[in-house]
Amino acid sequence: MSDIAAETPKRSSKLFSSFSLRDAGTLIGLIIIMAVFAALVPGFLSERNLINILQQSSINACIALGMTLVIISGGIDLSVGPTAAISAVLTAALLVTGVPVPVALLAGLGIGAFCGLVNGVLVAYVGLQPFIVTLGTLSTYRAIALIYTGGNPVLGVPQSFRSLFNGNVAGIPNSVIIVAVVAFGAWVLLKKTPIGEYLLAVGGNEEASYVAGVPIALTKITAYVISGVLAALASFILIGRLGAAEPILGNLWELDAIAAAAIGGASLMGGKGSIVGTILGAIILGAMRNGLTLMNVQAFYQLLATGLIILVAMMIDRATRGRG
Amino acid sequence: MTTTARLKFKGITKTFPSVKALSDATFSVKPGEVHALLGENGAGKSTLLRILSGVSRQTSGEFYVDGMLATFKSPEDARRAGIAMIHQELQQIPNLTVAQNMFLGHPLKTAGGLLVNRREQEKRAAAALAMIDPSIDPSTPIKNLKVAQRQIVEIARALLENAKIVAMDEPTSSLTPAEFESLAVIIEKMAASGVAIIYVSHKMDEVFRICHQGTVMRDGNVVGTVNLRTAAQSDVIAMMVGRELMQEEHNSFVKEDVRVEVRGLSSAVTHVRDVSFTVRRGEVVGIAGLVGSGRTELLRLLAGVDKIGSGEISIDGRALKLTNPRSAISAGIGLLPEERKREGIIPMRPVSLNMALPSLRKFAKVGVVSHSTVNNTAETLLKRVNLRPFQIDRPIKLFSGGNQQKAIIARWLAAGSEILLFDEPTRGIDVGAKSEIYHLIENLAAEGKSVIVVSSELPEVIRLSDRVIVMRNGRIAAQLERHELTEQAIVSHAVGDAEPNTYSSTQEHTHV
Repeated sequence: MSDIAAETPKRSSKLFSSFSLRDAGTLIGLIIIMAVFAALVPGFLSERNLINILQQSSINACIALGMTLVIISGGIDLSVGPTAAISAVLTAALLVTGVPVPVALLAGLGIGAFCGLVNGVLVAYVGLQPFIVTLGTLSTYRAIALIYTGGNPVLGVPQSFRSLFNGNVAGIPNSVIIVAVVAFGAWVLLKKTPIGEYLLAVGGNEEASYVAGVPIALTKITAYVISGVLAALASFILIGRLGAAEPILGNLWELDAIAAAAIGGASLMGGKGSIVGTILGAIILGAMRNGLTLMNVQAFYQLLATGLIILVAMMIDRATRGRG
Repeated sequence: MTTTARLKFKGITKTFPSVKALSDATFSVKPGEVHALLGENGAGKSTLLRILSGVSRQTSGEFYVDGMLATFKSPEDARRAGIAMIHQELQQIPNLTVAQNMFLGHPLKTAGGLLVNRREQEKRAAAALAMIDPSIDPSTPIKNLKVAQRQIVEIARALLENAKIVAMDEPTSSLTPAEFESLAVIIEKMAASGVAIIYVSHKMDEVFRICHQGTVMRDGNVVGTVNLRTAAQSDVIAMMVGRELMQEEHNSFVKEDVRVEVRGLSSAVTHVRDVSFTVRRGEVVGIAGLVGSGRTELLRLLAGVDKIGSGEISIDGRALKLTNPRSAISAGIGLLPEERKREGIIPMRPVSLNMALPSLRKFAKVGVVSHSTVNNTAETLLKRVNLRPFQIDRPIKLFSGGNQQKAIIARWLAAGSEILLFDEPTRGIDVGAKSEIYHLIENLAAEGKSVIVVSSELPEVIRLSDRVIVMRNGRIAAQLERHELTEQAIVSHAVGDAEPNTYSSTQEHTHV
């Protein structure tokens, strides 16, 4: 029967294959949410507020991009928040002692990459389950950040660093530009490079990938390293905004990032996920919070709304999948 | 009306939103008849069985059981009407006993109606089992039984329910030849008592052995009903695939030069020991042996999947250092694994990328994969292997087993592999696709590639191989040249018996 059923669908066009039906669904979800808030909140659709939404979504989007790659590979990275914290306090401490911005920046990204490398090696070579590995490093990395700073924030991040991440170009916040560039890079990685296909293959069927000669360990480690680097980058956006680095920053970032990736179509079973979808997912969550805040809705109810939107998104996903 | 047909299908049609799965199926089955349902995968057999057993409902048409119009709303209705289904994948609960499984869903109650009367259940189960195989104890848990015994339990359950029609979907896929023989006897007995049996199987020898009539289906249509007692096997196969299959005779393309040389190869992880052999350019070497004799494990060694303990593999005179599948692939070795779903395909990815997976770097310029090159190569190679339907960017999981297999063959063509290892290349594949894969293997040999084929089906091994290596207990028991190839010779070496004649005729068509 499958043979006959197969006659119907046609080869999809190029454009269509990079913007899938699933992404279109996420976009429709975003449009609906925007329309609801536009009706309820005056000025919601103003240029300034739209830019606000993008800016407020940028940190989560940055984390979620790395998370998406890890999830596609069949893993999960719960340690992104503490990784960001370690990287933030180290970078800030270096900056405060007068280390040039580029050096501090590279050090921060480097420590993020190292945190990811540890996760990746434990998953790929030691063979531990990703959830457990990153649950362990979630505590470990947080503890390191706290011990390193004695629990105190690192204050006095210099203006030159702050303007790099908190400034804007022609009215567009730098953070939005940075995340857009990262998203494009992630999209190229996933769609156009061998490693992207390897991620999808390893997440889709690890055994078959191995037999087909895919470098399994390298692929997984790459995903975790990217996730660590992007966590570091996200922390720069935050300390650029705040001017200080707190060792407790990034608490529960992993959950927002997983939510954005899942809303965007990533399957926690691995082998499936979309960069465009994840960005849209992060904007959905950002727009929700922005709109509810403008409506003066209490934080408790915002949390409730966020939880419900995730569940509804997943139910729609479930209902529209596996049909036909 | 002389004898009322036990089962009569009249114009049964089933349409799904996008496709007509079954169109105007009309035929009937008499009491006591063993009726084969024949056709390739996707011909509509399962759709028909699902309608018969009340799992799904026809879009139009009707069918009659003993002349009575059947209107089943659930599998339970079908069961009450005397229809029993014996599924390919047995639907039993492993931890429950034989008797509990036989009464699953409608247990016998005690007088009060509150408790299950286990003693009475076991008594009746034992009575039903006694008709077939009295050695099965109704109080043992199902999980302690062998697959063949579980099958017998299913059949006993059908007897217990006084089924008038028993439909069997690939009942022998996991049975040994001896077990098949006892199944054949049971089927004969059931038929003699007036039960109508519908028998679905890809194994033509079995069908011709036990069935009286056969209805051939193709692409959702009934092609015709034939008397299997008089029809020729080749004619029936031609009806199934809609074309004449080419003459199934062996073609040899062996060249002089030795390409692969294996010396004293032992596995670090399995029982494969001290294996030495050579493969020439253009040669097809078959590997036969009982399940567990080390055939698959040998291929895994050659493909770099399992770790080598000692010994040497060289290609074109150069010794290889295999540490993982990657190193084997770059040495020009490609493996088609036995378990396609687990080790072969990336289910959600398009066929084209499943094909390109090992050679992505070849398709990449400055680190970026050229999808147009991938697609062009996919078009060429997937056309060559005759992928159907020809849609190269469709997820591979939506294709039939045979077409998935073709895609994996294309994978190694794309990688430029010169040595191809096929592990059970036609398992679970229908007759048409099977013959296509045979011809592909021949074409590869004709091009000068070296092929090693592991197969449990002796006719297949003999059809394809220039030479056959018979394995036993992890070692090579014999190497048979083309002119020595007979099923008996292979079997006797596989089981380690010096005297081939002690094997009875039941060993013909064996699945060693």
